[in-house]
Amino acid sequence: MIEAFRRPGQRGRTMVAIGLAMLLVLLLVVALGPSIAPYDPTRTSPDSLAGPSAAHLLGTDSIGRDLLSRLIVGGRGTLLITFVAVAMALSAGLVLGLASGYVGGKLDLVVMRVLDVVFAFPVFLLAIAVVAALGPTVRNLVITIAIVYTPTMARVVRGPVLGVKRWDHVEAARSVGVGELSIALRHVLPLVVSPILVQTSLTLANTIFTVTALSFLGLGPPPPDPNWGSMLADARQFMELAPLTVVAPACAIVFASLTFVVLANGLRELLDVGGR
Amino acid sequence: MYEPAHGVAILARRDALRLALATGALGLAGPALAQGAPRRGGRLTIGADADPIGLDPVTITAFSSYDFTSLLYTGLLRWNAEMKVEPDLATGFEQPDDKTYVFRLRDGVKFHNGQAFDAGDVKHTFDRILAPASASPSATIFASVKSVTVVDRLTVRFDLHAPSAAFLSYLATNPTGAIVPRGVDGLNTAPVGTGPFSFVSYEPNQQFVLKGNPDYYERGQPYLDQVVFRFFKDQASLTSALRSRAIDMTWFKDPKVSAQVVRTSPDLVSAPGKTTRTFPVWINMKAPPLSDVRVRRALSLATDRAACLQTVLGGSGKVAAMVPESHVGGYDGVGEMPYYRTDAAAARRLLAEAGHPNGIDLGDYLVVAANPLDVACAQILQQQWAAAGIKVAIKPMETAPLIAMWLKGEYPTLLSVALSWSPDPDAIVSRISSMHPQGKGAGMADATLDAMIVAARSILDRGKRAEAYMAIQRHVAENAYCLDIYQYPLRWEAWWSYAKGYVPLAANIRSFVRTAWIDK
Amino acid sequence: MMRMVALRLLLTLPILLGVSIVAFVLMRALPGDFAQASAGTTTISPEALDQLRRNLGLDRPVWEQYLAWLARALSGDLGTSFATKRPVLGELVPRFMVTAELTLVAGAMALALGGATGLASARLRGRVEWIVRGWNSLLLAVPNFVVATLVVLLFGLYFPTIGIFNYVPFATDPLGNLASMVLPGISLALTVSVTISENTRAAILEVASQDYVMVARAKGLSRGTILRDYLGRNALTPVITVAGLQLAALLGGSILIETIFTIPGMGQYLFDSVTTRDYPAIQGIVLVAATVVLLVNVAVDIAYARVDARVSYD
Repeated sequence: MIEAFRRPGQRGRTMVAIGLAMLLVLLLVVALGPSIAPYDPTRTSPDSLAGPSAAHLLGTDSIGRDLLSRLIVGGRGTLLITFVAVAMALSAGLVLGLASGYVGGKLDLVVMRVLDVVFAFPVFLLAIAVVAALGPTVRNLVITIAIVYTPTMARVVRGPVLGVKRWDHVEAARSVGVGELSIALRHVLPLVVSPILVQTSLTLANTIFTVTALSFLGLGPPPPDPNWGSMLADARQFMELAPLTVVAPACAIVFASLTFVVLANGLRELLDVGGR
Repeated sequence: MYEPAHGVAILARRDALRLALATGALGLAGPALAQGAPRRGGRLTIGADADPIGLDPVTITAFSSYDFTSLLYTGLLRWNAEMKVEPDLATGFEQPDDKTYVFRLRDGVKFHNGQAFDAGDVKHTFDRILAPASASPSATIFASVKSVTVVDRLTVRFDLHAPSAAFLSYLATNPTGAIVPRGVDGLNTAPVGTGPFSFVSYEPNQQFVLKGNPDYYERGQPYLDQVVFRFFKDQASLTSALRSRAIDMTWFKDPKVSAQVVRTSPDLVSAPGKTTRTFPVWINMKAPPLSDVRVRRALSLATDRAACLQTVLGGSGKVAAMVPESHVGGYDGVGEMPYYRTDAAAARRLLAEAGHPNGIDLGDYLVVAANPLDVACAQILQQQWAAAGIKVAIKPMETAPLIAMWLKGEYPTLLSVALSWSPDPDAIVSRISSMHPQGKGAGMADATLDAMIVAARSILDRGKRAEAYMAIQRHVAENAYCLDIYQYPLRWEAWWSYAKGYVPLAANIRSFVRTAWIDK
Repeated sequence: MMRMVALRLLLTLPILLGVSIVAFVLMRALPGDFAQASAGTTTISPEALDQLRRNLGLDRPVWEQYLAWLARALSGDLGTSFATKRPVLGELVPRFMVTAELTLVAGAMALALGGATGLASARLRGRVEWIVRGWNSLLLAVPNFVVATLVVLLFGLYFPTIGIFNYVPFATDPLGNLASMVLPGISLALTVSVTISENTRAAILEVASQDYVMVARAKGLSRGTILRDYLGRNALTPVITVAGLQLAALLGGSILIETIFTIPGMGQYLFDSVTTRDYPAIQGIVLVAATVVLLVNVAVDIAYARVDARVSYD
């Protein structure tokens, strides 16, 4: 197995393969969710904080709900929020980064400064404000996270664009009369694909962190909706009575993040992108 | 009026006070004697989960401040361990008629700054309370007070607009009836009172230090040199701090946590105290479907109160009606109450009768996000109601906006917020009267009930008053104006056994730190 | 160069203004206010509530409140906290110092850990490199609050007599204070150490391949001297700028760790202030937090500009 890691290309391919396998597991959870859960995740029972048993493979939580079911259905919710939010951030970031980097000048200045304000704004304050003002729904959480990660995406796009627009063959195309938009799409866009791919994987890992962190603080979807962050938070009180209630969601969170970290590392090796 | 029970005479309040003790130590007997002679000196460290917001008893509104004001200030009367009113700064009183009280004050009492206490301070306190500029939460409570007059240095007279059975209870409650010194400003940050402990220092989020008041008028007390409150943000850190003896005493919001902690050592003592609050489901009856009593009754029938009690509190509490057991006329959790017997099938039948044969969707059920017990119970209720075809969506909210909606009746259908302890059952039931802004906002319009509530306010005989409140509760349950699920103590207290002489008080303030001592 | 620095610093001012306006408006869009929040379930008459609002200046129009705040802020007065009635600056500074201390402790740990693993990975190659990679990936995948929670669980289960929530102020007990920062510091440091590890590794590898190094080796200088020399001058820069960036990230991540380990820092202060709607406190915190983030950003951009002359900011 060590041999596999000797050559950079092979190493990258192996990591991407592992990452994709893990991603497949996650996607299965998202797709099948409730159908593979043994119980209704919101079904309460007087059998609270029970340890693992034949009836409950991972035990129960503080109001007697099956932990395994909550983990599966909660994973579905958490992951869906993550994917959608990152997709939104990506789209917004692409548009803003391309426009800002390519057009430059005043537009660049204004857009970057606005994004700076967003970037400088404490994430949690924004989340708390949105939740308190608009209510703790899935939709609001997704929007908040999309807003938070747009500046990073935009920056990642803008970087290569800034460098590229001075390239000779771009100048040449311009001098021949090819339209700006066409140049942007045909010459510039392909160059940002690699860094974007890597950054997206990283952002997915970070987003899982943010989603679970916000839910942990009580800013996520309301109960009885199961999600890993709030499961972790609720379990803290009774940690010692039933350690599994903490360990299980913790492992799930790590597994999901790890998937994207491995993917990001593999892609970086494969596409030879270099530092972040 | 004498009802001997367990060898201790239980006196009607009026007589007990008139018999005013020369000893000045009524209520001291019980806890202290059981554990040997008190030792002087030492420091008690208490874990608190919230910082005080202000220390001036006339203006504070936050419950977190009560722990501190209860040690810094005293009032004319106070609660003893059996939740009966007894003398404090006042040694006794007379009632020339039902609307007048003349209190005789203790002599030789000094405030922490050395100033002598007299009737002028009592008048000053109540003038401040009743002044609109103070924005005092006690103003509504003492609205029945017409005037306070200084008769002489140690005598003060209260004239009320109408007889009030709750008046003495409120005077005994801290900080509502706490006396402040005249001529002293800035009590919010530099408190000066007549309490057993005086203020030393406060570092926000860190600790709050008090020292024993050598001039305290209760002979021998306090035993402790110092009391230090240390602040911990959550239950997990409180647990850890107690176990590692970083603190000597604390209280927990969840009985399971408390039970777990106490199990870890035989030297940890836990005392739940009496039940002092209920978990209610408030109902907005202004519009259908909840304006239909059958729908409300169905809701009550679908509820399995005992299961909620078992699952959420592990059985540490009782089934509830509007008034908790520790009050006059409180429900003991056992007696028969209309529509309390769980029956999902009967619930469905009632719904069908009311025109909802296929069940009903009651929309958003608001709960306080910051109370895990409330949120847990709400989820269980959601399940129970679903079994009867009643669907709700749980919506945890921040406390402040939720309360604003509740008080104005602007919530869609159902809302749960537990009431903090109040000295008198009237404060609880009057909310459901159509004359109270909250009751009106919820769509109440029951003249019979209103009359019952008003009448109960002025019954001075304890036994008759208890009957009146039981009747009110039955009426409320019969019409399902409000669903009460379980009753429980506000907190579950736990401490190390070397801290002796401490008794938890149902009024949820740590008054008995004054009788506590350390035996290490 | 100086002109660019001055320009960037100047640009932070409108951003700070923007941030403060957004915070101001956002907070007032929240339902409820301080008067209602502190009353709780106590019945207060509407008149009393209104009087309270008047006392706090909450009855004036929002823009007027903002301008009043801005005017005071520009002269250094961040107002008075609604909750404690003390100056916000006085409340903020000690908490900021606590968060800053935690950040620095965590940063130092991250530098040590990341530096060590990066060095090992670069110099030893082979299996070590593979292990470090795996380790780094794992660290990236574990959010800091998960680490913190698991740490608390571990100690609760196996070492219950060791108090882990024993924060004491530095002034009271320096050793105790540092001891209380160890566990939270580790929780924060783990994720951050990854970037430092990778950058250290990259910097060292780069050193090894420079012509300059070959010449110096030919001249007879020892490897250690070269390493020290070069690192001291150039390679350290990217590492430190990355560390700076992470510092800003640490500041943001501290709210969770502070909550779990009950450390009275700015993150916790922000959370509490929002819950009680203590507007002056919130404004103060946002201002300070944003300033720190922006200043760090400027520093990083400057460092990058020095390193890569091709990037220009116009």
